[in-house]
Amino acid sequence: MIDTLMLIDDENLFHLVFEDACSMLDIALSIEALDSSDEADRKFKAWFPDDPEHERPQCVFVDLNIIGSSYDGIEMIRKINEDYGNGCVIGIISSSSDQTEIEKAKKVGAQFWIIKSDDIEPRLEEFKEDYDGYVDKTNPFKVYR
Amino acid sequence: MISSKDTVKDALLKAKSKKVYIEGNFVKLLSDTTDDDVRLYLDECKRRDQTNRKKRLAVTKQIQKQNKELEEAAVVNKALLTDLENKMEELETSKKEAEGLRDEALNDLEVMQKKTQFELISIIVKLALGVIAGVGILTTVLYLYILSSGLDSKIIETTWSNLFGILLTNSFSIVGTIMGVKYATEKD
Repeated sequence: MIDTLMLIDDENLFHLVFEDACSMLDIALSIEALDSSDEADRKFKAWFPDDPEHERPQCVFVDLNIIGSSYDGIEMIRKINEDYGNGCVIGIISSSSDQTEIEKAKKVGAQFWIIKSDDIEPRLEEFKEDYDGYVDKTNPFKVYR
Repeated sequence: MISSKDTVKDALLKAKSKKVYIEGNFVKLLSDTTDDDVRLYLDECKRRDQTNRKKRLAVTKQIQKQNKELEEAAVVNKALLTDLENKMEELETSKKEAEGLRDEALNDLEVMQKKTQFELISIIVKLALGVIAGVGILTTVLYLYILSSGLDSKIIETTWSNLFGILLTNSFSIVGTIMGVKYATEKD
């Protein structure tokens, strides 16, 4: 089970759906849900450079279009991976399945792309099974449809 | 009541005796226990927590779905409203154009009517002046013939004089009327 997981998504209702689904599926013990990439950026900036005492989450799920934020999900992933030293499993969770955006995400270092739908649980369950492979970087980029 | 001096086991058993079931991910941290009573209690907590989460998840998903539908409906409504506003603007423009054309047609009709009236008056005047001139010339010729032939000219003299007086009066009257009509028409 993941100890700490961060969700960056502007839709507050999805925070509840995600938290309940993760809890039911025993995916994560602690979930921090943020509704803007600016807030996430501030937190990662504070945690950087890598500090053994920091509370950086083990895994980060980022929405593709975060309304009201300065960065979209792809830029957020790029910043975390390139500006703030990576150090966590990171990917996109979005209702979009646009191949161009998926390629962009892959290019900036996203490890997975989960497509949001009413029935998110089977995808999260599949992700849970693959999680260890993302931690040790042996799993290739994957789209959960 | 649970006190800070209680062990975790005592605290959990006290909660169990009060039928208070802990929930959330905290239960997962406590699930590893060898005590049967505590294990049964935690299993019950976990079962209740799962049931509650399932219920909450279903409700949240339903609300999320309704929100999406409302957002989509709002987008459709906005598009319809914009369309309606555009149609209203088009209608207003068409109305103005139609009013302009109507005014133009009325103006044309008025001009045409005036022109027709004026032409008619012109014909009447020409005809009247022709008759007047004709009668004048005929009477004068007759009068000259009588004078040159030495016939009795008393009757023709009186007739010529009266006729010329009447003709001149009528001519001026016609010309005056025509000038008045023309002036009034131009003023309109």
